[in-house]
Amino acid sequence: MTPAKLLAFAATFAFLLPAGAKDEPARVVLKPIKFTEYDLPNGLHVILHENHAAPVVATYVLYHVGSKNERPDRTGFAHFFEHLMFEGSDNIPRGRLDKLVSGAGGNLNASTSFDQTDYHLNLPSNQLQLALWIESERMMHAKIDETGVETQRKVVKEEKRRSYDNRPYGSLFEELAKLVFAGTPYAWVPIGSVQYIDEAKIEEFRDFWKTYYLPNNATLSIAGDFDPEAVKKLVADYFGPIPRGADIVRPKVALTPQAAPVTHDVLKDNTPLPATLHAWRAPAQTDPDSYPLELLVNILSSGRSSRLYKRLVEKEQAALQVQAFPFLLENAGLLGVEAIGQQGVTLDQLDALVDEEVERVKKDGVTEDEYQKALNQQEAEFASGFGTMNSRAKNLARYHLFFGDANLINTELDRYLAVKRDDLQRVANKYFTKEGVNILRFPVPAAPAAK
Amino acid sequence: MKSALTLLLALALPAVADIDRTQKPEPSPPPASAFPDYRTETLPNGLRVFIIEDDRKPTVTFRLIIRSGSLFDPKTGTADFTAELLNRGTATRDAAAFALATDSIGVAIESDASTDAISVSAAGLTKYTPQILDLFSDAVFHPAFPAEQFAKLQRQTLSSLEEEKQQPAKLAAKLTGKVLYGGHPYGAYLTPATVQALTRDDLIAFHKEHFGPNNATLAIVGDVKAADILAEVTRVFGGWKKCDPRMMKMAAPPAMHGLSIHLLDRPGSVQSNIVIVQPGPPRANPDTPEINVLNAALGGGFSGRLFQNLREKHGWTYGAYSAFDMRKFGGGFQASAETRNEVTTPAIVETLKELSRLADEPVPEPELALQRQYNVGNYLLSLESTARTAQRVQDIDLFGLPADFYKTYATRMAAVTPDKVQDLAKKYLSTTDLAIIVVGEAKEVQPALEKIGQVTVYDQDLQPVGK
Repeated sequence: MTPAKLLAFAATFAFLLPAGAKDEPARVVLKPIKFTEYDLPNGLHVILHENHAAPVVATYVLYHVGSKNERPDRTGFAHFFEHLMFEGSDNIPRGRLDKLVSGAGGNLNASTSFDQTDYHLNLPSNQLQLALWIESERMMHAKIDETGVETQRKVVKEEKRRSYDNRPYGSLFEELAKLVFAGTPYAWVPIGSVQYIDEAKIEEFRDFWKTYYLPNNATLSIAGDFDPEAVKKLVADYFGPIPRGADIVRPKVALTPQAAPVTHDVLKDNTPLPATLHAWRAPAQTDPDSYPLELLVNILSSGRSSRLYKRLVEKEQAALQVQAFPFLLENAGLLGVEAIGQQGVTLDQLDALVDEEVERVKKDGVTEDEYQKALNQQEAEFASGFGTMNSRAKNLARYHLFFGDANLINTELDRYLAVKRDDLQRVANKYFTKEGVNILRFPVPAAPAAK
Repeated sequence: MKSALTLLLALALPAVADIDRTQKPEPSPPPASAFPDYRTETLPNGLRVFIIEDDRKPTVTFRLIIRSGSLFDPKTGTADFTAELLNRGTATRDAAAFALATDSIGVAIESDASTDAISVSAAGLTKYTPQILDLFSDAVFHPAFPAEQFAKLQRQTLSSLEEEKQQPAKLAAKLTGKVLYGGHPYGAYLTPATVQALTRDDLIAFHKEHFGPNNATLAIVGDVKAADILAEVTRVFGGWKKCDPRMMKMAAPPAMHGLSIHLLDRPGSVQSNIVIVQPGPPRANPDTPEINVLNAALGGGFSGRLFQNLREKHGWTYGAYSAFDMRKFGGGFQASAETRNEVTTPAIVETLKELSRLADEPVPEPELALQRQYNVGNYLLSLESTARTAQRVQDIDLFGLPADFYKTYATRMAAVTPDKVQDLAKKYLSTTDLAIIVVGEAKEVQPALEKIGQVTVYDQDLQPVGK
């Protein structure tokens, strides 16, 4: 063997056998998801993934506007606006939009989060043009009238009652954002305050649409059974005439350093079991630390062999469930550990156990076996994702908008696999700080409600 | 150079767009939709095996269906606990070792009991196929039901029951089952007393009686070659010993007579969970495709009448839907919504009106055309999921459906007429024999409910309380 060949051989071998895992099979080979992408002159970013596995097509329109773009005295706007986008347009009469999609054999939905608002349509592939017409109409001339606003005001109030007010721990995320992201536009959740939706004038909704629902603030992603050349022309025809708007002024997320731990008790009559949530600030989703953090969280709570499950659920039988999670956004993030206690367990017990496990991983790091397990779990999870056309359209757009690289749908796994074992202890110490913890507790009311 | 390219592009694209955005675009001819091909084999010990090849992801899923569910419970909770403990310790691996073995290769082994069946599934990367099969079969063949794991599960379940007392959707589902099925096993539910009455021996006996190749089907979906995976499965499952389950004559669930109102008082509720329920047909009935179109017209999605009426017209709710729950020996129909307290009764009245309207007048053809297409198209979309296809193939076996059920499904839905929908509404949707279930704040919603009829009030343990 020549030295060059030997090197090449060694390199192959190293790839097949990652350090410390001699009996591990080679890393999974992902089937590449091929796509093309381009910008229209008006700034709309278009991503096309052609795939003929099934006669279906998914369109996904991602607007770079979420609750963090709202004024503090107009929270809930982005989400409310998402509801209005089902009302109709100059060419689609009010109340027809969902029926057009249903009648074409498809389905539709939308969602709003802190950073984004997205709209998806799934249709048999012969109906792709309908999807392009609907989405271009919404972008070009959505119709916002008083009747629609009045109805959706009521509907959104019911949505808030259902998802936040009428279920145990429903206000958890709202309280969490308020605490961890205080002083920034991440301090309120997308459902916002219904009071502000009631106060807003119809012109304000129209202004919101004019400011944010612009081709230069949107990504159109299409996946499925279509001819790319024909679709490029249709996209140009439907979306090309929409005028580019003014550049968006992005909100600043400036967190002041947290000097001391905070504990806050949330007193609710409908809390059935004690629950506690420990949360720390974490980096934005594009920070390189996000990868070791995700692996660390796997080791803490993914599966019955994870540390928190073994300790809190199995050994001590203190918790009914326990979950560590990163919640990473465009401009900031948080890291949480949440435990729901069994009957009769005290919050102090739960808090002490969470604290002990967090301190242990900071002090001792993770074992080689745990590290390999986390990599393998990540590998399996990544390889299992992105099966449907809907998930492909969505993730291509998400990777483009927030990471600047749609191809991460094929390659992001490599970033997890490149994480070193020591990185996990490093990020544990960097983010799980004593002074930076925010503890939200849900105590069970002292006496049961009177019968 | 640049200008030459621009010129080329300009020539390639017509200067004027040939679309008319004032009009809905007409679709091209519909794509052919065929139920995907799959391979069926029966092993000598009786295990039926279905294989669906799908190379989109480098993964494989095994899904075993045991044709016995909680219907066969000698004590309430037996099937539930049996399923729950399958992956918590086997003859050769204790719970911790089993968890470590599955987590270490990123495999999830999950089991769930319904009234008619128990499912056990394992999903992971194809490169671990031998390990997945080893762990999966170990959980199915040799669960140890360790005493300490059984005790832990009992304690966890008691805590979960306490949590459910504040979960309105869970309470509504339980009370609905209790009212619809009465003393029939379909209506059974866990209580602290039933949890405490269970023993580890009950699970061992249930497993011995019901887990065997002659009482099971196995579906395999993923990036596999049928011949290869069949050889592997035969090696692992070929030696599985047959079981001898009791043959049970199951009575049909009871009929319902008249209208009754059941209010579960959950103090502090800011919404009412409303369920309007009545008996419905079993899964193997002659009308399922057509019933599904009927249901879509009433409450199948955003364009259904309930959603349009209760949400889009009145703004009373975030969503309003209906569904037929078709089980092996019977079933139920239910329409549901969550509304603010003060419109609880009006929402019930409107729902009842929509039920009557379907029986009283034919659905206009344009509306029905939309619903037919909605069902046919969304069925086509669902074929994208091979996991769903596997489930359907196993359902044909479990419920004794005609072999060509899914091959003719779309054609039948596409042929439903307004007259047929009206006939089916009269046949399957009673407007007089039904129960109204409400979970909410009694002191706010009860007075208005009394105007519809007599109200029975329940506490959060689902027990009727005196007035």
